[in-house]
Amino acid sequence: MEVRKTFHQQLDELYQDLLKMGNLTVEVIEKTRVAFRELDADKACEIIEGDDVIDDFVVKIEENGIELLARQAPVAIDLRRIIVIMRLSQHLERVADLCVNISKAIVNLQEYTLSPWISENMDEMFRRSTIMMVRAMESFKERDTEKAAQLSVMDDTVDRINRSFLLVTNRDSEDELELIIRVVMVSRFLERIADHAVDIGEHVRYMVTGEFEV
Amino acid sequence: MNDLTENKMEIKNLSMFYGDFKAIEDISLDIPSQRITALIGPSGCGKSTLVRCLNRMNDLIQGCRVEGEVILDAENMYTPGYDVIGLRRRVGMVFQRPNPFPKSIYENVAYGPRLLGIKDKQRLDGIVEDSLKKAALWDEVKANLQESGQNLSGGQQQRLCIARVIAVEPEVILFDEPCSAIDPVATQLIEDLMADLKKNFTMVIVTHNMQQAARVSDFTAFLLVQVQGDPGRLVEYGDTNTIFTNPSDERTERYITGRFG
Repeated sequence: MEVRKTFHQQLDELYQDLLKMGNLTVEVIEKTRVAFRELDADKACEIIEGDDVIDDFVVKIEENGIELLARQAPVAIDLRRIIVIMRLSQHLERVADLCVNISKAIVNLQEYTLSPWISENMDEMFRRSTIMMVRAMESFKERDTEKAAQLSVMDDTVDRINRSFLLVTNRDSEDELELIIRVVMVSRFLERIADHAVDIGEHVRYMVTGEFEV
Repeated sequence: MNDLTENKMEIKNLSMFYGDFKAIEDISLDIPSQRITALIGPSGCGKSTLVRCLNRMNDLIQGCRVEGEVILDAENMYTPGYDVIGLRRRVGMVFQRPNPFPKSIYENVAYGPRLLGIKDKQRLDGIVEDSLKKAALWDEVKANLQESGQNLSGGQQQRLCIARVIAVEPEVILFDEPCSAIDPVATQLIEDLMADLKKNFTMVIVTHNMQQAARVSDFTAFLLVQVQGDPGRLVEYGDTNTIFTNPSDERTERYITGRFG
C-alpha cells in the first residue's frame, strides 16, 4: 500500500515540469543555431524575448521544490530527486541565458559575413552542444548513469573546437576585430552550454547512486 | 559499526518467541556506546519486542522464550543466573505513556536511589536535583518538588520519568516510543534532551515517527515482517544519514519514502 500518494503526485508534477523545461531549452539552442547561421536579427530578438518562459519555469520549479522539502520531509530517492530537479532547473536556465547572450552577439554581427570556416565549425559546436543537452536530459529521464558518464567524453570535442577559434581567426585584420571578438565569445558560450550538460550528467549520477563523483 | 566508538551491546542471532509464535528472528546488531540507535519499521515488525529484549523486560510475559545472545559489556545477559535486577538498573527504560508513580516529584526521582539503599537526605537531594537538571526539568519544578508528579503536563511527566531513570545511574536507556503521547513542543524538548544525554548514556529508541529517527539517532535499524505471520527480521542497519539519503536495501527505501506502509 502506497501511503504518500499525494506527495508522489506532486513530485511527479515537479519532474514533468523539468522535462518540459528541458525540451524548451533544447529548442532554444536549436533556434539560436539557425539564427546564428543566418545572422538573423529578428530570430535572435525572438529568442531574447522568449527567455521569460524559461525563467518562469525555474521560478515554478524552485518554489514547488522548496515547498516539498519544507512540508513533506522527503528522504532517500525522493530527496535526491527533488534536489537534482532543482539543480537541473538552474543549469537549464543558465543554458537559456547563454543562448540570449549569443543572440545579442548575433544582433551585433548584422553587418558582417561569416567565413565558411566559422559557419561550419560554429554549426558543428551548436549541433554537438544540442546533442549533449539532449543526452543529458535523457540520462536524467532514464536514470542512465552510463549515458551521463559519456557526456564528459563528448565535451572534449566541443572544447577542442572552441580552442581552434582562438587559433585560426585572423588577428591582423583590424576591420574584423569586432567580428573576431564576438565569434570567439559565441564559441565560448557554446562551450559553457556543453559544460552545463556535463554537470547535469554528474547530478544524474548522484541522483541514481547517492554518491558524489566529480 | 563505527571505528571511533565501542559497542555497549551486541545482539547476536537473537530470536524471540511468544509461545509458538516467533516474533523476531535471527537479529544481529551492535549498539555503539554513547550513541543513539533507532529501531524503525511498520507496526508489528518486532521493534518493541527487540528493545524489550535488551533489559529482559520480556521475561515478565508468560510463555516467552529467547534464543541467541545479548552481550552487555562482554557478558551475555541471557546466561542462566545473570543478575536481572542489576541489569534493569544498568539498562533503564522510558515507556510510551508517561507513568510517574502517584507520589511527589521528589519521591519519583528518589525512589530508585532509596531502593539501592541510599538514605542520606543530603545525598538524595543532590541526586534528585542532578537528575532533574539532566532531564531538563529542574527549572520548571524546583519550587514544587513536593507536588504530585501526576499533576505535571504530559511532556513534563515524560521528562520526570527520564529523571527517574537517570537517578539510578544506568549505562543504557531504552526509549519505547517516548513521544507518541506528547505534543510537538514537548517532543522537541525530549529530542534535545536525548542529544544532551549522549555524553553519559547509550540510548536505543523505538519510534513510529521516521522523521524523529532521522533527527535524533546516529544509527538506524529497519525491521520488517516480509509476509504476514512471518517473524520480524532486520533488513538494514547503518548510520542514520546513509539510511535516510541513500539506503542500500530497496525495502528500506520503499518504507521510508512511503511507497508502502
